[in-house]
Amino acid sequence: MNGQSDDKSSGVGLSGLGTKPLSRIRPWFQAAFLAVWLAPVGRWLHGIPGCVFHCYSCPLSSFACPVGVAANYAALWPAAHEVPYILIGVILITGAVGGSLVCGWACPFGFLQDFLSKINRRKLQIPSWTGHLRYVMLIGLVLALPLFFGARGVPFEEQPVSVCRLCPAGALESGLPHSLQSIAQGGPWLMGWQKIVLLTVFLGAAVVIHRPWCRLLCPLGGLLALFNRFSLFHLRFRAEKCVECNLCRSRCSMGVKVDQQLNAPNCIRCLECVKCGAIEAAFALPAEKQDSYTSAQKP
Amino acid sequence: MTRKISQPPINPGTRPTEQRDFWTGGVLTIVGLLVLIAGLRHLTGVETLDGSSAWETQLVKAFSTGGLRYAEATAAVLPTLPDNPADAVATLDRARKSSTERPHAIGRVRVDLGASTPCPT
Repeated sequence: MNGQSDDKSSGVGLSGLGTKPLSRIRPWFQAAFLAVWLAPVGRWLHGIPGCVFHCYSCPLSSFACPVGVAANYAALWPAAHEVPYILIGVILITGAVGGSLVCGWACPFGFLQDFLSKINRRKLQIPSWTGHLRYVMLIGLVLALPLFFGARGVPFEEQPVSVCRLCPAGALESGLPHSLQSIAQGGPWLMGWQKIVLLTVFLGAAVVIHRPWCRLLCPLGGLLALFNRFSLFHLRFRAEKCVECNLCRSRCSMGVKVDQQLNAPNCIRCLECVKCGAIEAAFALPAEKQDSYTSAQKP
Repeated sequence: MTRKISQPPINPGTRPTEQRDFWTGGVLTIVGLLVLIAGLRHLTGVETLDGSSAWETQLVKAFSTGGLRYAEATAAVLPTLPDNPADAVATLDRARKSSTERPHAIGRVRVDLGASTPCPT
């Protein structure tokens, strides 16, 4: 990684990243993070919400799922007015430092979708406005619905419809292993047919759509993406290096028009666009603020 | 494997400028750190089964281990009945009507620190 940028803009340019084959490095980072989220030795960390989408009922999970924690707090609010300080702190730190960087480099569910997308099938393009559904999920399914049922005296585990009941990550990471474990011990199959259908639909969608959960429904990714506009880690555009080759757009798997808008809410910061050379990963530091584009235009 | 997608020509001059300030992200990071530390030291208002207050980490852990224990709300106390039997019947009717209209309440919530059942959802 390089040190100082040469245009004195605030922050440190990470221009060295543009010369490395990130498409080859990123899967290793994602696999390494699996050891963090799936470490059985870290079961005592279940009292702390993680910053990625991973079911806390997974037999190997270390941290708690932040989405499940938020929904539980919402369901519990009528009975006990508790504020999830740890969850808020984790989200603030993760978002303010990296934005949706964890989505592209650390999330195990995103890793699975990246893996499935490598299956050679024609990929469907979906419009970017569908990303707003993530906020419908966040406000409706994660916060409002548990609060509604909780106000009527229904504990979260007994609520007929909840984000956890509809979660494909829960189906794969918890429902499936617990059902197999039960079968192995001579017990019944535990996972309902609804979750099996959900999981099947999701796995099929991940083959023909790149990262369908992240693009359409992930409430955590939607929330972290809101920080992209002001997170310390960010992408910036070097106009003097742009040769209008469209490589940035063609490398983006999330449908972001990278040449028009960096740090977009539907960007997962996989850094594939950095390969073009005109786009640079950077980390903001307390320095004199200067616009990178206008500074490049100055003679 | 990348594939060139035909696009309209890029005009860098029409791009919005990306100004990035340290202090917005920096302050939010510090605030997040302070809130996180406060949460780790936060004793909630939810009690454990042995009567002590649960830490926030214990409450969060209870979500995933089926460790929340709910006590039903106690039944409504019967109102004081007037001497007149007709009025007493009317009073009882009103009390019965209000109790059926009131939804079943969760009541008190407690944390079972020893729970280890995976979340059934």
